[in-house]
Amino acid sequence: MTAGPRLESGPRLGRGPAVLSVRHRGIARLIGQRAVQIPAVLLVVSVLVFWLIQVVPGDPGRNALGQYATAAQVQEWNAAHGLDGGIVERYLSWLGGFVTGQWGTSLVYGEPVAALVLGRLGNSVLLGLYAFAILVPLAIGVGAWQARREGSRTDRAVTVGLMSLASVPEFVVGVLLLIVFALVFPVLPIQSGDAVGTGFFPQVRAMTLPAVTLALGYVSVLARMTRTGVVEATGSQFYRTAVIKGLHGGALFRRHVARNALIPTISLIGVYLGARLGGSAVVETLFGYPGLGELLVTATQKKDVFILAAGVMVTGLISLCALLVTDITFTIVDPRVRFTEGE
Amino acid sequence: MAADVLLADRVELVESVDAATPRPAGAWAALLRRPTFTVPAAVIVWWVVVAIAWRWLGLDPFGDTGTKLAPPSPEHWFGTDRIGRDVFARVLAGAESALLIGPLGTFVATLLGTALGLVAGYRRGWVDQLFMRTFDVFLALPTLIFLLVIVGAFGSSPLVLAAAIGVLFAPGIARIIRAEVLVEMGKDYVTSARVQGERARWILARELLPNVWPQVAVQAALSIGGAVFVASSLSFLGLAAAPPSPDWGLAVNENRAYLQGAWWTLVFPTLAIASLVVSVNLVADNLKEVLRG
Repeated sequence: MTAGPRLESGPRLGRGPAVLSVRHRGIARLIGQRAVQIPAVLLVVSVLVFWLIQVVPGDPGRNALGQYATAAQVQEWNAAHGLDGGIVERYLSWLGGFVTGQWGTSLVYGEPVAALVLGRLGNSVLLGLYAFAILVPLAIGVGAWQARREGSRTDRAVTVGLMSLASVPEFVVGVLLLIVFALVFPVLPIQSGDAVGTGFFPQVRAMTLPAVTLALGYVSVLARMTRTGVVEATGSQFYRTAVIKGLHGGALFRRHVARNALIPTISLIGVYLGARLGGSAVVETLFGYPGLGELLVTATQKKDVFILAAGVMVTGLISLCALLVTDITFTIVDPRVRFTEGE
Repeated sequence: MAADVLLADRVELVESVDAATPRPAGAWAALLRRPTFTVPAAVIVWWVVVAIAWRWLGLDPFGDTGTKLAPPSPEHWFGTDRIGRDVFARVLAGAESALLIGPLGTFVATLLGTALGLVAGYRRGWVDQLFMRTFDVFLALPTLIFLLVIVGAFGSSPLVLAAAIGVLFAPGIARIIRAEVLVEMGKDYVTSARVQGERARWILARELLPNVWPQVAVQAALSIGGAVFVASSLSFLGLAAAPPSPDWGLAVNENRAYLQGAWWTLVFPTLAIASLVVSVNLVADNLKEVLRG
């Protein structure tokens, strides 16, 4: 998982079709490696999560049935939900169920956990993708603009401003946006919970504020990487050569600036995407959006262990896969990158 | 031509060695000349003083003043909330919980992370591999999700939260310290200490630690911002402080419903969090730039 990208300055690889096949073999190896690593990491996470959840103070049957139920009723309820027996036994039966898609029944909602978690995950993915549609062009645009004014007062002011946005918790940005849009400029809905499933446009409108809130926190780092990348690329020998050669406009930018400047940016986009698609508990709670993060917060408050366990596993799986996709993108964009085992 | 290149190389080498010389006294002077350091540092000092001294300022963050949801006025600078409590008093008193869990968690994380990083970098081999693979597990999950599980399992007392934040932030610090130690291990002073037959513990504590110390300070400073961020997010989610605590994150959560009617109950705690977290990050960034040269 941590095989760091490495720039090789060893023997030159050739050009032409031969390079492609070498590159594809690299990707296949990468996928093979991760096919072992990802389940292994998830297995460790699952043991940890299951153990942690089992030490939840209080009896789940007691929590679900309330204080007036008899001890026998509580015991019966626990047995019916697979919550009796030794911890190893319970872990194995839960793990077996998880792998085969039987994620159990929610203790609080009384619905199958799989349907709940996956449904909420769908909502979170939508929100995450919307946030990315705002974030990526915005950050790259701001970064490139800053690079053109490198060292100026506006450049520094923008950097400090963006860093401040990134360092405050999401609900701070969210509350400030809410106040602006509730009191000063009431054009967008401030709660997005009811809008899900009301059709495309109402939903997009309702999701705009949470998506902007999510995006703003990440502009800083992405813009800074783009800025550095562009500054380095335009200051390089190959850029000067390209200009002297007579290249200009789109071709110059695409072939000589963008490709070099965006390599570090892409890696970050992938990591963020993984983190975002799992849902943001804070933003979803603030705007009342029915996503996975909000579900997990509710599950924690109400000690709904099955939702919590399944939700954490799903989130972990998504983050790990996002890392894999990032690394694959890396090898495709930058043929110099090779992944080696360990460090 | 070749001679030119060689000369250029040599000039650059001399310059870079010169610039890398650490001068601790000069570092402080350089910091104090930067307004992006002094202003945030003053804000932090203000909040620390308030967090300790609010008890003696005659403030009552819990009592009913008799008027509910009053807008800001000369009597109540920040207005009053839905049960008539003075928002100004609550914002000042809330500094205490904001400055408790985050810094405490950072302290745990720095201790733990530095120790693990030193050992991993020094031992290398299987110890290193074991630590690194364990850290991967922690880094695989979003921080907040892990905290949810821990809060679900162990409750949300300040000690549990500080320990949880410590455990979660330690791997990040350990990785960086380890990388730093790996660089130091190649230097002669480590080799000579080993040849002298010094014990591992002595080399770690007396030889390596002083040399990675600036990096430890920078990482600790950077982590405080993150820890305050995470702690206030948890209290916003209703998973840390419980009513009637004047905690800022909790205040934002409780007063969300009064967004349109009483913005002052929401804005002032929000701005308080923002001022603290932004200041901590600016100070950390300046420290990083100055200490790393």
